[in-house]
Amino acid sequence: MAQKRRIGVYVCHCGGNISDHVNVKEVADALRGEAGVEVSRTHMFTCSDASQQEMIDEIKEKKLDGLVIASCSPKLHMFTFRAMAERAGLNPYQYVHVNLREQCSWAHTGDKVGATQKGINLVRAGVAKCALTHPLTAIRIETQPRVLVVGAGVAGMRAAISLAGMGLSVFIVERDKEPGGWALHAGRMGPDDQYGPEIVANLLRQIRKHENIILYTSAELRGKTGHIGDYTATVRLSGEEDVSLNVGTIIVTTGFTPYEPHDGEYGWGKPGVVTLKDFRKMLEAGDGPLTCNGIPVRDVGFIYCVGSRQTKSDTCPEPNTYCSRFCCMATTFSASLLHEFEKKSGQTINQYHLYRDVRTYGHLETVYTKARADGALFLRWDPEQPPRVEQSNGRLAIKVKDTLLGDEELEIGVDLVVLATGMTPRKNDTLNNVLKVPESKDGFYKEIHIKLRPVETVIDGVFIAGTAQGPKNLAESVASSLAAVAKTGGQLKKGYVNLEPLIAKIDTDKCVWCDECLKACSYGAIERVRCGDKEVAMVIESSCKGEGACVPICAHDAIDIEGFRDDQIMAMIDASLKESVAA
Amino acid sequence: MTLNTDRRPVGTDVINLNFGRKPLDYDVMIVGAGVAGMETAASMGDMGYKVLLVEKNASIGGRAILLSKVFPTLDCASCVVTPKMASVAHHPNVQLMTYSEVDGIVRKADGTFAVELHRKAAYVDFDACSGCGKCTEICTVTVPDEFNYGLVTRRVAHIPFPQAVPKKAIIDRRGEAPCTFTCPANVKASGYISLVRAGRYEEAFNLHLENAPLVGSLARACYAPCESDCTRGEKEGTVHIRGIKRFMADRYYSAHSAPEYGPAAERRGKKVAVVGSGPSGLAAAFALGREGYDVTIFEADSEPGGILRWGIPAYRLPKDVVARDVANITALGVEIRTNSRIGSATALLEQGYSAVYLATGDRGGRKLAVPGEELAEVYDAVEYLHKLNGGTPPAFSGKTVIVIGGGNVAIDSARSAVRLGARAVRLFCLESRSEMPAHRWEIQEAEDDGVEMSNSWGVGEILGRDGRVSGIDLIRCTSVFDAEHRFRPTFDKTVHQKIDGDVIITAIGLAPNTAAFAQEVELQRNGVIKVDPGTLSTSRPGVFAGGDAVTGPSMIVTAIGQGRRAAFYIDRYLKGESLNVPFDGVLEKADKNLVLEEAEHFVERQPVPQHTLSLEERRKTFECYEQVMTEAEARQEAQRCMNCGECSQCMECVSVCAPQCIDFTQKPIPLSLNVGTVVMSTGFEILDPATKELLGYGKYPDVISGPQMDRLLAPTRPYNGVLRPSDGKEPESIAILLCVGSRDHTVCNPLCCRIGCMYAMKHAQLAMGALPMAEVTIYTIDLRAFGKGYDEFYEQSKAMGIEFVKGKVARIEQLANGNLALHYEDQLGEGGMRTREHDLVVLTVGFLPNTAAFSLYKGGELAANNFGYVREIDPNSEPARTNVDGLFAAGATIGVMDIPDTVLHSGAAAAQAAAYLERTRAG
Repeated sequence: MAQKRRIGVYVCHCGGNISDHVNVKEVADALRGEAGVEVSRTHMFTCSDASQQEMIDEIKEKKLDGLVIASCSPKLHMFTFRAMAERAGLNPYQYVHVNLREQCSWAHTGDKVGATQKGINLVRAGVAKCALTHPLTAIRIETQPRVLVVGAGVAGMRAAISLAGMGLSVFIVERDKEPGGWALHAGRMGPDDQYGPEIVANLLRQIRKHENIILYTSAELRGKTGHIGDYTATVRLSGEEDVSLNVGTIIVTTGFTPYEPHDGEYGWGKPGVVTLKDFRKMLEAGDGPLTCNGIPVRDVGFIYCVGSRQTKSDTCPEPNTYCSRFCCMATTFSASLLHEFEKKSGQTINQYHLYRDVRTYGHLETVYTKARADGALFLRWDPEQPPRVEQSNGRLAIKVKDTLLGDEELEIGVDLVVLATGMTPRKNDTLNNVLKVPESKDGFYKEIHIKLRPVETVIDGVFIAGTAQGPKNLAESVASSLAAVAKTGGQLKKGYVNLEPLIAKIDTDKCVWCDECLKACSYGAIERVRCGDKEVAMVIESSCKGEGACVPICAHDAIDIEGFRDDQIMAMIDASLKESVAA
Repeated sequence: MTLNTDRRPVGTDVINLNFGRKPLDYDVMIVGAGVAGMETAASMGDMGYKVLLVEKNASIGGRAILLSKVFPTLDCASCVVTPKMASVAHHPNVQLMTYSEVDGIVRKADGTFAVELHRKAAYVDFDACSGCGKCTEICTVTVPDEFNYGLVTRRVAHIPFPQAVPKKAIIDRRGEAPCTFTCPANVKASGYISLVRAGRYEEAFNLHLENAPLVGSLARACYAPCESDCTRGEKEGTVHIRGIKRFMADRYYSAHSAPEYGPAAERRGKKVAVVGSGPSGLAAAFALGREGYDVTIFEADSEPGGILRWGIPAYRLPKDVVARDVANITALGVEIRTNSRIGSATALLEQGYSAVYLATGDRGGRKLAVPGEELAEVYDAVEYLHKLNGGTPPAFSGKTVIVIGGGNVAIDSARSAVRLGARAVRLFCLESRSEMPAHRWEIQEAEDDGVEMSNSWGVGEILGRDGRVSGIDLIRCTSVFDAEHRFRPTFDKTVHQKIDGDVIITAIGLAPNTAAFAQEVELQRNGVIKVDPGTLSTSRPGVFAGGDAVTGPSMIVTAIGQGRRAAFYIDRYLKGESLNVPFDGVLEKADKNLVLEEAEHFVERQPVPQHTLSLEERRKTFECYEQVMTEAEARQEAQRCMNCGECSQCMECVSVCAPQCIDFTQKPIPLSLNVGTVVMSTGFEILDPATKELLGYGKYPDVISGPQMDRLLAPTRPYNGVLRPSDGKEPESIAILLCVGSRDHTVCNPLCCRIGCMYAMKHAQLAMGALPMAEVTIYTIDLRAFGKGYDEFYEQSKAMGIEFVKGKVARIEQLANGNLALHYEDQLGEGGMRTREHDLVVLTVGFLPNTAAFSLYKGGELAANNFGYVREIDPNSEPARTNVDGLFAAGATIGVMDIPDTVLHSGAAAAQAAAYLERTRAG
């Protein structure tokens, strides 16, 4: 080691999350006095503003040149402490984050002595790594003031209008012939009874007014290269011609696919068994009585949670375990529409709603209340004993045990069975291969953090909004698409973004260009270049994510990842084994 | 694009582009810094807009920072919220204004908004405060901790919670405590009471000294107006404040036979003369002495103390106590020249005194002007008491003493006469019993001593025989005051009575002792010196006056208050500073009704019984008959204080604050700003669970609210564990009730609370983690787990063994074993009404709109929806937009929602506000 380092070590109690299971004082004490450690102390919450201020003061006062914070997962606070280091005048990349919570206290809740020893080892490793850090500078990328919106449903169109209003140029790519998405076919929409096609028409009018919005219909996103701030998107128009669009960011509002019941599921396939969407079309078809197979409808059964909240079974090997969120409101809203139809047409129709839990949350409760006031009957079934739909006497019969009537089995004769089908993620492998946005367990696109960063993805500059991220009603979809607008606005209006400098570095002396690294890189970040009299690999800085797949594959040991260099890792291993070796 | 062009300096071409528009102070003002406000602020700041984020509480973070963990990921709430707090606080484009309130918002014709707001007085200089928390440790007053939803208490000087941003101390002051407010010398009764309560007796004494140096005398002889205005008096009986003072003074004096201080180190080099060594003169001399002036008191009598030394009988005020009190003044180097009657203030000025304070008090009493008054056994009360206190009492043994007068001096005279061995003491006065100027309790005690009282009698004649008093002829007084309440007695001379007696003492009023200065300073018609009531300066520059010489007969503590006031202005006068400044920074009196309302749940505290000598003993002796409280009694009595002003001004925080940032004179700072757009993120209120009376919240301590359960489970939890509040036992069977006050027409809240199901399941899961042996039951109507990952959380809860009962709990009652019986309808299985026992019940309460948003907008009506939340005019296309163009509402302001939905909605609000700014800018 060249010069003695001046490293500050701060161990966090995490208000008990760590200190209940790890003796944090002992950890801090163990590190105090070790080579290169200038200070070592604990804080109740290192992330709190006051603790940050104390650390900043100490970094400045003691002229620290390295910082190790042992707290929670770096996913939560790495950026917090990098920003803090910067405010203290310390290079943010000379700060090392040790995860003492997820990787120690939470994992060893019953063994304080062992957890404390492991904690000491982990922090020692962090110090060893920190001692080998050197200042790095973020890679600054100029951003293009243009956004690509994928999907011209209400969420996508509304986002485009907002972006254009902020002075950004927008391209919207829509696979269908017509923009508008589901709202275009939704008719009257709950909870506030707005007419879907009208919402769409209104948005289209606004889009036409904006010169800086270009809407491509019958178009598909087929390729994406580049990186945040400077993506090149390849869009195939009408299945033949390709255009290249240069954009700074991409907002994905590709929506959902309605659940398709499998044959026999709640009578699916039998005449008179329809989805809610079909039922609404029948209802809004216009004049005359509501008929099914030519017979006037007297009784309608609605079955909730079709394709939602499923459990794994032989008939359902890949269950949708999630709640689709919008269907209870949509179905109870339909109950009132049916009641309205009844009054208008004079046709008496009884409606039976077979539910598990009525999830009309928040002010949507009023929709449910109105449905009951309008005469809809609600029966509660248990997922262990779901309703069965059978044909009898030329009609349909729903057999169901109502859990609120002592599990008595009821047989309800109906003319129509309406299945409230849920939302499922869009199946579009071509698009997924282009976007490379990971999926959540439920198959919808995965956000970085469900609570804190719900529209951002791990692909910098690619945002998700609307039902592409998860089931939502219209208002919620639009709110999320505008949230994505706000986020991308923050990046593009500034004119630049900073990228992590923790990327691969090639030792051109060792490199012999064997192309193994090129094959290993999933980001296309390796280029072949001539270097003096030989060919070597070069890293495209703006594309490299520091993933590290190239490092172990290199037979000549010519690649290192900044922040995770071999010498650092070796030092960490040595340091964390120190106690064991001594013993 | 260049942002914020509006704020370029005047003279650049940009101003011309914005012709007619007032420059913007901020592009956007965001009201409320919970999750919604912070998210909106960060988003807009990132877009380059200048953001003002206003928060009425001392810290940003809203309700989320108080949570334990967040569903469905069970991330620690601190971990989720603190980075947001820190990033907003350090955002280069975001200006935080915490502990500040918006007073009004108006949209102007040009589309910008005029806003009025103020930073509240925290009594702490935020710039200097380091957040060390020393003041919060030493503070002597505790109040329910709102950040722990009242589960525990916190100090009045406090930092809201460990992760507060900014981490600054705040001191709560509801107003001046009535006792302190009422005291003419503003002695901080609330302060020394709280110090006695804390066992800090010397500090208590020293705090008293700040306002009034005659602690021992006041502890015995003050009429204690503080006690008559004590809020506890509205309940079990007033706090015996004077008794507490007596304890603290006696304890201090027995430990310190002389003051611990000497003359002020820094000398002013100027001489001040004080005429009169009564309470007012001594108080002025003390204050001036501490300022470093060379003070000389001129006293006509042979010993200092005025009324304290010569007027009040020793059974109320022992003379050694007066002497010790006087030592508090002389220790400062104040010289008292006794036997020095002063005839001219001017002469003193000419002798080199730079200022003079006239505090000459009262002289002898008025005359009856009736036949017989010249007889030898007729005493003026003042002269008689002077003799008594001078050690040469007249011989009353075996005599019948008749006292004329209904005031305090009359009572003192009569009670002394009893102690001098009089056979009988009879007191006659003009006033009816209720009109008597003497205090009720004094009259009572005089009667207890054996004084016979006769009301509504005037003196016709003093009867004599052989040149000695033989009795008195009394005539019926029919009224004392005229219609304007002026003293104008009328008599019915036809009603007479003759009373035999040997001695007459007249105590019918005092006259100011001011005649000597009549040529030098202006006097009022009744002989008192005319002064500016604020500064106590007389018509003659450099001459100030106070005490009874100015007010007429008054209380000791009034005279002391005037002495201190005079000293303050004499100091300014001598420094050549303006006298046009207020004296004490006294707040408005705290609202007693508010105190009583909050005290509804206070335990009953009966007054500590007072010890006195027996009636038998006290009639025989001039020994103090009131006895001092024991330490335990004093502290117990001090416990009865209701902390009406919140902060008691005990000043302990000031003594430990290294950066010296505590400032009790701080005032709210008003601001007027012009902003481009406004986002309301004022959040929601929590429904008071006590509204559902049958569920027993507030009645049974082990029925707690959901937010309280969150605190029990939080990393910064108050009990360091999930314990039931009543007895600290670890609960074994926890019931969690959903929809308490939600979906409930009986409390006019038909809405679903939207987050209750999820946060209840979070509580259940966390409780099972914290208490592995506990059983957890959730009582529910529908289980609404609708968000991403939520239904999976529900399934996980069931798999963990949490029991879900479908049925609403109707009623809760406490059983003899302390547990709670829940009566509910079991809607599943066999059904029917059932009862189940639990030992902790959590009420998952509903929420209410925070209606503050509506009152803040003054430019017309901000539209509400049917449920009292701010109305979004078109949620499907224009989220966050309200009926006021340019004013947006984010998050729970439009209806309660969970954190992910709030973050999304706030992002939408930011996008909308940005679009509005661009649109109005483009003009």
